[in-house]
Amino acid sequence: MNKIVILTPLIILLVICIFSLTYLLSGKDPNKPPSALLNKDVPIFESSSLYNSKEIIRTIDIKNKKTLINFFASWCSPCKIEHPLFFEISEKYPELYLLGFNHKDPTSQAKKYLEDDGNPYDFVGVDADGLIALEFGVFGLPETYLINENGKIVFKFMGPITTDVLKNEIEPLL
Amino acid sequence: MKSSHFFRILHMTILSFMFVSFKIYALENTDERVKNLTLELRCMTCQNQSIYDSDAEFSNDIKKIVKQKLLEGKSERDIKIFLVDRYGEYILFRPLMNYNNIFLWSFPFILLIFGLFFVLIKIKTKKV
Repeated sequence: MNKIVILTPLIILLVICIFSLTYLLSGKDPNKPPSALLNKDVPIFESSSLYNSKEIIRTIDIKNKKTLINFFASWCSPCKIEHPLFFEISEKYPELYLLGFNHKDPTSQAKKYLEDDGNPYDFVGVDADGLIALEFGVFGLPETYLINENGKIVFKFMGPITTDVLKNEIEPLL
Repeated sequence: MKSSHFFRILHMTILSFMFVSFKIYALENTDERVKNLTLELRCMTCQNQSIYDSDAEFSNDIKKIVKQKLLEGKSERDIKIFLVDRYGEYILFRPLMNYNNIFLWSFPFILLIFGLFFVLIKIKTKKV
């Protein structure tokens, strides 16, 4: 009887530890921490067009429309991998607004990149100093965000999106 | 007349010296604060490195933002909250003390209570 009394707290502690560890480690990749902005309002931004510095896009301009925001750069090799998929998305979902943010890129190189590989975006905003990326919590290119009609970030993906990601994670939200 | 001119120059020299000294002190102090704060921040693109120790582009951007915010007069807690709002608590080596982390912070004390309870029972049974 005494042994049971002594061992009970230890058993409870062990159960708590196992439960906590299982919960903390289940399905979590330390290399891809969840976005702090998920299900939150899209950050306030203002950016000029890559092609016309007088043309400005602001947060309010994407209000009431589903928007896919993609941070890319000409120097980012993984961006090239996912680039053709945006043409597919643009063709399949013409009502979806595709907004590209060119991150820390010389204008001439960004233009050349989009000339060579094509421009799938409805608007290409310039993020020369990386401050827009900072507001979105970007820490590596490419990163893609889906914003719903209410202006909430409903999906974030780090790295190049693939056909599987598009089919299983993005399309159900469109 | 000459003496008044001399004192005016002396006065200006002392004031300029004080201004430069304060400026140098403030900048050094800011750099020290940037160092202390960025040592507590995780470089999200590196393996187990603080923002301070890393030369990654992401880390350099964060260092610049931290310095800018400190010069704007923001407190260290304000800056941490600013970064956590954008990057999540993962950016902090030491999690914030808030409702979400109550279990994390209280667990060592729970462990201590369990330990004491265990020791007390052991002593009691030995006495009997």
